[in-house]
Amino acid sequence: MKNILIIDTKAGNLFSLQAAIERLGFSVTILQKPDRRSFDGIVIPGQGRFGAVIKSIKEHRWVSFLEQALDKSIPILGICVGMQIFFEGSDEDPNIKGLNWFDGSVQALDFPKKPMVGWAKLNSKIWNNKIVYFVNSYAIKQSELCIAETVYGETFCAAIKRGSFVGVQFHPEKSGKVGSELITQVLTNGFREIA
Amino acid sequence: MIENSLLPRIIVCLDVDKGRVVKGTNFKQLRDMGDPVELAIAYENQGADELVFLDISASNENRPTALKLVTDIASNLSIPFTVGGGLKQIDDVKAFLDAGADKVALNTTAVLKPEIINQTAKAYGSQCVIVAIDVNKNNDELSFYINGGRKLVDRDFNQWTQEVADRGAGEILLTAMHKDGTGSGFDTELTKSISQQVPMQVIASGGAKNEQHFLQAFQQGADACLAAGMFHSGEYTVNQVKQYLLDNDLQVRI
Repeated sequence: MKNILIIDTKAGNLFSLQAAIERLGFSVTILQKPDRRSFDGIVIPGQGRFGAVIKSIKEHRWVSFLEQALDKSIPILGICVGMQIFFEGSDEDPNIKGLNWFDGSVQALDFPKKPMVGWAKLNSKIWNNKIVYFVNSYAIKQSELCIAETVYGETFCAAIKRGSFVGVQFHPEKSGKVGSELITQVLTNGFREIA
Repeated sequence: MIENSLLPRIIVCLDVDKGRVVKGTNFKQLRDMGDPVELAIAYENQGADELVFLDISASNENRPTALKLVTDIASNLSIPFTVGGGLKQIDDVKAFLDAGADKVALNTTAVLKPEIINQTAKAYGSQCVIVAIDVNKNNDELSFYINGGRKLVDRDFNQWTQEVADRGAGEILLTAMHKDGTGSGFDTELTKSISQQVPMQVIASGGAKNEQHFLQAFQQGADACLAAGMFHSGEYTVNQVKQYLLDNDLQVRI
């Protein structure tokens, strides 16, 4: 059985995420700090503030662990803030630098009703018309890594991909059967459908 | 019109008493409807976009049992769910969110201790806070109530919705008491006017009996609609209502 690591950034409960992944036939290990084990896939959960999650990831020395995983093409799934931290920075915590793996920064969504809460359809080559659950006030508006978009007042990146890293702005663990399919796709084969 | 790809949501409400889903036939008699986890899965499978569990947390003696139930629901459901009823202080809110609820619905407590809205929003984010308001319309006058609709609040309704927004709530659950149980449809006018006034989503509740009521509410701009009885009775499945909405050119998740 493939073993998936969920990084516990201490920003919320992980019951839904763990259960969603386990239901798909993976086993799950939750860690606050890396140990010597390696995993078949890694998930960075989507809870907490940008600054707090960065702090937790840096403090517990996850950055080099994740860099090595990406080098080895181990599937990594970053959900919401778990994706945002890999960009340059965020309007949510302007004084805190992002991990800067990817170009671009996270901006506040320009829409009168905030936060964005609910189900929206993706515009995407690979996930077109899939309907998934969003909960966010911030998003990456433009990125060359974008593989899916949606609209809330303006178009933003609903998903990005580089190598074996897939980041999603929505919450696949709350997106019913569609979300489960997407988690399986990302974690089983690093999402090789797209170059 | 600003472009927005969010789809209208159908939310199913379940009343929980002593660990079971119940249906009140009148104030004294509660009918047992079944196990909350099983019913939650059934509603997810029939197309519900979200679930709300009310009064799951009401009794203090059964707190550990209620928290375990919430964790069980979180571990079995892959759509968002809210718990509400009986959350009296920030520690209650934290306990239920930490147990796995995605959101809490605050009603009486929000009125009596409004700082709990700020505290929850700060600790967990606005998206975790729904403020439920039981509003009543009498001769065009709007008033609102706490304690399960039994106690009138001596405050201006519009001022309260504004305060709720200012304090950082993520959504308003607006139950029209004058519609509740009538089967005459949601108060679409009221939903529309509140939805235009506050910078957050408004969930319409009270009065739904059939699929047309959902169509009317969504066409008038409701972001989400909540119902209980018409789904619990087995008269409609959520997907039947959604199919009707689709047939009437309203996009929904199916």
